[in-house]
Amino acid sequence: MGNLVWHEYSRYVSLTASVYTVWASFWGLFYRKFFWDFIGGTLRNPGGLQPSPNAAIFITLIVKVPVIQIFTMMTAFFMIALEFPMPQLKQTMIHRSIVLRIVMLVLMAFMAILFYQGTNGALWSLIAAGCYARAQVLGETMEDAKNNKGKGGRA
Amino acid sequence: MNRGLDVEAVGCHGRLKPRLSLASTCHLSLISPSTASGYVFFLSLYLSSPSAYNITLKVIERSIMGESWFHREFLVPRRLAFNVIWYGIQLFLFAYGWWSQATNQKLAALNGLKFSVWCSRGAGLVLAFDGGMILVPMLRNIIRVVRPKLAWLFPADENIWFHRQVAYSMAFWAMVHTTAHYVNFINVERTQVRQEIALQIHYTQAGGITGHFMLLIMLLMYTTAHHKIRNQCFEAFWYTHHLAFFFMIGLYTHATGCFVRDSVDPDYIPTFPFYSTEHCLGYESWRFTIWPGLLYFGERMYREYRKYTAGQWLFIQVPDVSRFQWHPFTITSAPEDPYVSVHIRQVGDFTHALGERVGAGPAVVAAMTKAAMNGSEKEDNGIYGTRGDFVELDAGGGASLPTVRIDGPFGAPAEDVFNCEVAVLIGAGIGVTPFASILKHIWYRQQKGSLGCLRRVEFFWVCRDAPSFGWFQSLLQEVEAAQADPNFLRINVYLTQKISEDMLWNIAVNDAGAEYDPLTLLRSRTMFGRPDWKGIYKTMRQAIESGQYLPGSNAQLKTKVGVNIGHLDMFCTWNANHRFTDLFLWTWCLGQSHKGGYS
Repeated sequence: MGNLVWHEYSRYVSLTASVYTVWASFWGLFYRKFFWDFIGGTLRNPGGLQPSPNAAIFITLIVKVPVIQIFTMMTAFFMIALEFPMPQLKQTMIHRSIVLRIVMLVLMAFMAILFYQGTNGALWSLIAAGCYARAQVLGETMEDAKNNKGKGGRA
Repeated sequence: MNRGLDVEAVGCHGRLKPRLSLASTCHLSLISPSTASGYVFFLSLYLSSPSAYNITLKVIERSIMGESWFHREFLVPRRLAFNVIWYGIQLFLFAYGWWSQATNQKLAALNGLKFSVWCSRGAGLVLAFDGGMILVPMLRNIIRVVRPKLAWLFPADENIWFHRQVAYSMAFWAMVHTTAHYVNFINVERTQVRQEIALQIHYTQAGGITGHFMLLIMLLMYTTAHHKIRNQCFEAFWYTHHLAFFFMIGLYTHATGCFVRDSVDPDYIPTFPFYSTEHCLGYESWRFTIWPGLLYFGERMYREYRKYTAGQWLFIQVPDVSRFQWHPFTITSAPEDPYVSVHIRQVGDFTHALGERVGAGPAVVAAMTKAAMNGSEKEDNGIYGTRGDFVELDAGGGASLPTVRIDGPFGAPAEDVFNCEVAVLIGAGIGVTPFASILKHIWYRQQKGSLGCLRRVEFFWVCRDAPSFGWFQSLLQEVEAAQADPNFLRINVYLTQKISEDMLWNIAVNDAGAEYDPLTLLRSRTMFGRPDWKGIYKTMRQAIESGQYLPGSNAQLKTKVGVNIGHLDMFCTWNANHRFTDLFLWTWCLGQSHKGGYS
């Protein structure tokens, strides 16, 4: 019993994950830390964990310049715009695409897992992506897609 | 009645479990076939001993008026008081937690972390408070007992609403607390105030592990509790919400890692609570927050095994439809009735499945609608016909009727009606169900001549569409017909839907000069549009004060007016402007906010 519409549920998870990720990447701008720096890193007192030289590229992209954080934040903002949805996106094909969401969420999770604050957001994004994958497997379609049926190019 | 009591409905006779030795019969009716979506079916369990469950009323101040957010939150004294007290407590706790951390000399090392640690400690204290409060509105049995005494203190009547407010606060403070800790731990790593890295605190110590785990549980619980999800699939919400058990375990053990300490290493000891309070200087809030948890657990156990008295709604479980779900419904029969009945509107997945199971599914409704269109049902109904005839459902020889388990009744006293001279009963939509019970009860009391001090009943029913009138038509007709004094019961029915031209003509043609109203088939006329509450109350007040309302009552005498509102929607607030002197205003918000979802 019960008829859970998975993509409608996933939307709430995805929105929560995206909002968290925006918040996390915002703090990531000020407290920059490569999440995986403990691998091969050495602990200094004081000074903290000194990452291994192998991770130099991540140190550049996360600690020296917060590129990853900024990209993650942009992705998360895009997800919010897509999910809420922003009026301009509402009638478009990308708003109706479940696959796009899965891809974006996995991408967001991949980027978020790279910096210190992003782990929960990454985990939640993966859960959202999983729920969307379930919706996709069940062959669910977005409401707008149903409404736009037969409208040809005007949809 | 008892949870776990099986009313095995077999045809029109059944049996209860022998330990209670009550005979029961089951009776299923389908009412109002006119719209396929809005039909209600009527399930009554005839018990040979109706073991006086007293219909009871809730008392809170609310109104159906739509108001601005600002007006609702700040200009209504009760709500203003709630906001000031509730958020005041939280801000106070935050400030106290901040202050107690910042000024504690023993924690000087931690205070090197500055704002982030003060924030996390302040928010932590608020979260402990919220974690304790979140279960309080769920203590249904205790609330039933303490409600009359404590209604002024906290919104006991809107327990689900309060539960949500706690949850919202909790989400906010969890955000503050977690954010602050992310800063704390990164600074611990950088300054090495403790010899560890941030991820060790996050993922290898009790505080971090339980914290992240609680956040994950919150994600799942909050998202599945969205009203849309509850409507779609109550089970997803119901089962996921039981993660609260693990959440609570996480809450109680969150501080067992001895994070707040004045020693270098956590000072663990071999005896309970396994850390020393000499060096572990947390709030030890589990000593307080654990009690609502234990009480709640106790209540669940108690409800599993023990018996109830008085109440006005009950939980129903139909194992055929769903093995574990319990759903609340308002009892619509009077205590004097030899049966217990509920009216169930099919709105969510559970109610639809239940309708389907007992044979009141869409196919039956379609057949009935067709018959109604052909006019074949009108034959022996006299000149006016009757809307909402009961249709007995033949569930195939009876053997296939489902087992129905009931739990309850729950609720508060409706006997209050008889302590007032004037009772104003206001129901909207299916929110009228409690009044079915009350009106019937009044009718029985009239027959017995024991109306207490009740002199007047004003019954308002605000409904969107005409077919809904079928739900209680026969009841209202009966009650109306039984009135010797035409002024005792006034039935005011409001139809709020936009009326089509056809319907308008129909009403115009049939209404003029007819003895009965064409829509409700009552003597009382249907009114159209929404009721003007201000006007209604004002008129009533003037009539009471000038002594015209109750003949023989002096204007100087105190007239006690009880207002009860049964309401369909979650939003209902009492507008203080409508308060008039000498009135005890009770209102009752029934529906989702009260019981957590009909689905």
